[in-house]
Amino acid sequence: MKIIIVGAGEVGFNLAQKLSEEGKNVVVVEKAPERLKRVDEELDVQSFHGSGTSPSVLKEAGIREADMLVAATDSDEVNLISCLLAKNLNPYILKVARVRNQEYIKEKSLFGEEMLGVDQVINPESLMVESIVRLLEVPEADEIIDFVGGKVRLIGVTIPTTSPFVNRRLMDAGTAGADILVGAVARGDEVIIPRGTDKLKAGDLVYLVVKPDNMRKAFKTFGIEEKPMKRVVIVGADQAGGSLAAALDKMKISTKIIEKDVERCTSLAESLDRVIVIHGDGTDKDLLIEENISDVDVLVSLTGDEERNILISLLAKGLGAKRTITRIGKLSYIPIVSAIGVSTLVSPRLCAIRAILQHIRRGKIISVAPLKGEHAEAIEAEALETSDIVNTPLSDIKFPPGVIVGAIVRGDEIIIPKGNSMVMPHDHLIIFSIRDSLSRLEKLLTVKLEYF
Amino acid sequence: MHVRTIARFNGLLILFLGLSMALPLAVSIASGDGGARALSAALAVTAASGLVVFLATRNREKPDPVLNHRDGAVIVVTGWVLAGFFGSLPYIFSGSIPGFTDACFESISGFTTTGASILTDIEAVPAGILLWRSQTQWLGGMGIIVLSIAILPYLGVGGMQLYKAEIPSPVVDKLKPRISDTAKALWKIYLVITAIQILFLILGHMNLFEAVCHTFATMPTGGFSPKNASIAHYGNAYFDIVITVFMLIAGINFSLHYKALKGNPTVFYKDPECRVFLIIAGLFISMTAIDIHGTVYTSLSESFRHAAFQVGSILTTTGFVTQDYEKWPSFSQHILLLCMFLGGMAGSTGGGLKIMRIILLVKHGYKEIFGIIHPHAVTSVKLGGKPVSDEVIRSIWGFFILYLGLFVLATLSMSLLGLDFVSAFGSVIACISNVGPGFGIVGPIENYMGIPLIGKWVLMFCMLLGRLEIYTLLVLIIPEFWRK
Repeated sequence: MKIIIVGAGEVGFNLAQKLSEEGKNVVVVEKAPERLKRVDEELDVQSFHGSGTSPSVLKEAGIREADMLVAATDSDEVNLISCLLAKNLNPYILKVARVRNQEYIKEKSLFGEEMLGVDQVINPESLMVESIVRLLEVPEADEIIDFVGGKVRLIGVTIPTTSPFVNRRLMDAGTAGADILVGAVARGDEVIIPRGTDKLKAGDLVYLVVKPDNMRKAFKTFGIEEKPMKRVVIVGADQAGGSLAAALDKMKISTKIIEKDVERCTSLAESLDRVIVIHGDGTDKDLLIEENISDVDVLVSLTGDEERNILISLLAKGLGAKRTITRIGKLSYIPIVSAIGVSTLVSPRLCAIRAILQHIRRGKIISVAPLKGEHAEAIEAEALETSDIVNTPLSDIKFPPGVIVGAIVRGDEIIIPKGNSMVMPHDHLIIFSIRDSLSRLEKLLTVKLEYF
Repeated sequence: MHVRTIARFNGLLILFLGLSMALPLAVSIASGDGGARALSAALAVTAASGLVVFLATRNREKPDPVLNHRDGAVIVVTGWVLAGFFGSLPYIFSGSIPGFTDACFESISGFTTTGASILTDIEAVPAGILLWRSQTQWLGGMGIIVLSIAILPYLGVGGMQLYKAEIPSPVVDKLKPRISDTAKALWKIYLVITAIQILFLILGHMNLFEAVCHTFATMPTGGFSPKNASIAHYGNAYFDIVITVFMLIAGINFSLHYKALKGNPTVFYKDPECRVFLIIAGLFISMTAIDIHGTVYTSLSESFRHAAFQVGSILTTTGFVTQDYEKWPSFSQHILLLCMFLGGMAGSTGGGLKIMRIILLVKHGYKEIFGIIHPHAVTSVKLGGKPVSDEVIRSIWGFFILYLGLFVLATLSMSLLGLDFVSAFGSVIACISNVGPGFGIVGPIENYMGIPLIGKWVLMFCMLLGRLEIYTLLVLIIPEFWRK
């Protein structure tokens, strides 16, 4: 599969890296020589110097034989023009565009077959807001990933010292009820795919596969305290901050939003009902104390400046905020920032990368979510009739090491598999896998006929 | 520096090299030339050494790390030196070239596609060994490392570092998204053109063995011949023409051949470097032909035939000979000397400075003069309508200076060893540009046997410098490289 990526910024670069590691043929088109140099040196992809809005550059990059174009530059206009050109040069190509401007996104017909023919529009900011809202809905979880269109959830929870599971073998503690499965355990830097004989420790980040209705039950069995979600402070009221405030407004959560820009404050105050709009600087300690930061359940720092966001979150923690959610841009910051105690991070770029990867993998593997540190992934895949795993007891299938089937979703039913469970065609599977086994797993899931 | 990975890669390389001796061995067995014992011993020693290193450096726990620039340079240089060493084993074991230095010289001259030989009576050497001699050139032409990248599946990003360190071009042109696919594509083209040339030679009634040997030396612009008198042995116009054409083909960037075979034959005309290359070749051939017509040869067709062969041979740095060009008029000899410096196109199997560098140097020189007339003018050096970055220009100037500097240094040391003026620079330019025959005592009908021992090592170093395009080899000698 040949994929052309326009733009080698943070999103384009990371996509190119992931896709080429997965064995796709990737071509990158980028205007800035220094970014191109980084691509050439660090990735096994072909690169072309030039603009994604130039037909001759796209032709040179082989748009005619390509299967997909991902327009991932920072500029909506460049992305849209690239898609238009791609459609013109190769009518069969799949197109994914990163678009941020809400006004464009509202014009649905713009992306239709008659106009640009964009197969998927990725809006990083709104994806990020969605993921923050999910986190706020379930404040007990550190991470929430939806699978099978929301029928199954993967939640990441931190095991407290008081949990009945601490230092007991998973099999002795009994499954936490029939519908809950421990899929992966992140301890320090490693991610473990646990077996029945493994023990959990306090402080582990445990990934559970649950039905959304069973989440409360899961928290109870793992001894995780319910955390109230009543007061939220948002710092930064650009597009993402504004739409998050609007979403929280609808959820009837008491929300304050702090913004430096007066005009922005005024327009927000006019459009929102309950949300208190505060004009001020989020790094101002006195302002935070004045707004009772110590009573706040979550502070979300969403300004456009990532270093500032990190400082605001640290300051809020110091002043007694129970939890912070921090927006960052550079993906390389994630491990460093986690180390200094700013735990829950969101990134529009990471959201965009995940969404685009999910789109590309449509088919055999429906969705992949990297777990903490990216050593392991949770995968949603459809069991195809012709694949090896169908109609055989799970215990007889030779899975690569570090791979576990977390759940089988058949229609509305969710099965937590045992050794004798069988996978039927068209079941959706939630599979946990360490990264090294990913390609072998992918082969296992592949249709046998494809080899002929 | 990832020592384990470097050793592992080299182990694999040597293993492959050993296995590739099977072809000459088969020829030796079939022809009963007496070289079979030596070749099988060399095969066993080489393959076993490679296998032992490869297995000893295996580590299941840790995956192979991604190679960086330094690892790339170290792998390429050690790979070439080791190939040179193991490649000399068939000569030593068979007794064809008993001395260690001489055997290494022949082997390195082979892999670097120089074609400088120390053999006086080539025809006395067993056929299998002669095939091995040509085969080293063929392997070295497209590059043993590029071949490894094509064969080894696990080199991803690291492969790019290796590729850059070996490919003879100031700019790297990836034909396919993946480096291993690019390497595969290049080798496929190389194989196809090789097969075509063998076919053409056989059509002219050259026997299969000699056709293969000569093709294996033409495509990499190497120049080893299984005949004492080189191509002059045949005195056949058809062979001269076929070989001239294929030498010129080998002097063209293989990416262009790839694109042409993909159904775009106009690339040869559209590519600015290729145009200049063909114009230079045409111009030099005509000037030489006119110069030697009447003075050396009587008929015009004969003058053209020999001028074309000799200019083609030297310009592409192949080094086949049909005529003793030292007997030609001074002007023609100077053209050939100039050809030795110029070399083929970037990305071809030829050596020398490369046409692309010359074009860019001239253009940059013009830009500087232009800047004197219009001090405030904003200009950029362009090649084929595309601007060339200052970084590339700087690296080319650096390359040019180092090339000349090292040429001067090596010439000085050769004269210190007692070589006369012409032979000293003639041998150095012939080796650093990977041509083969030079001037003076290493002229077209002489060989390198008479060079003193130390001189041979100096020349071997020059050959590696030329093949690895100076930077890759030189960077390893700089102490800063080894500092942690």
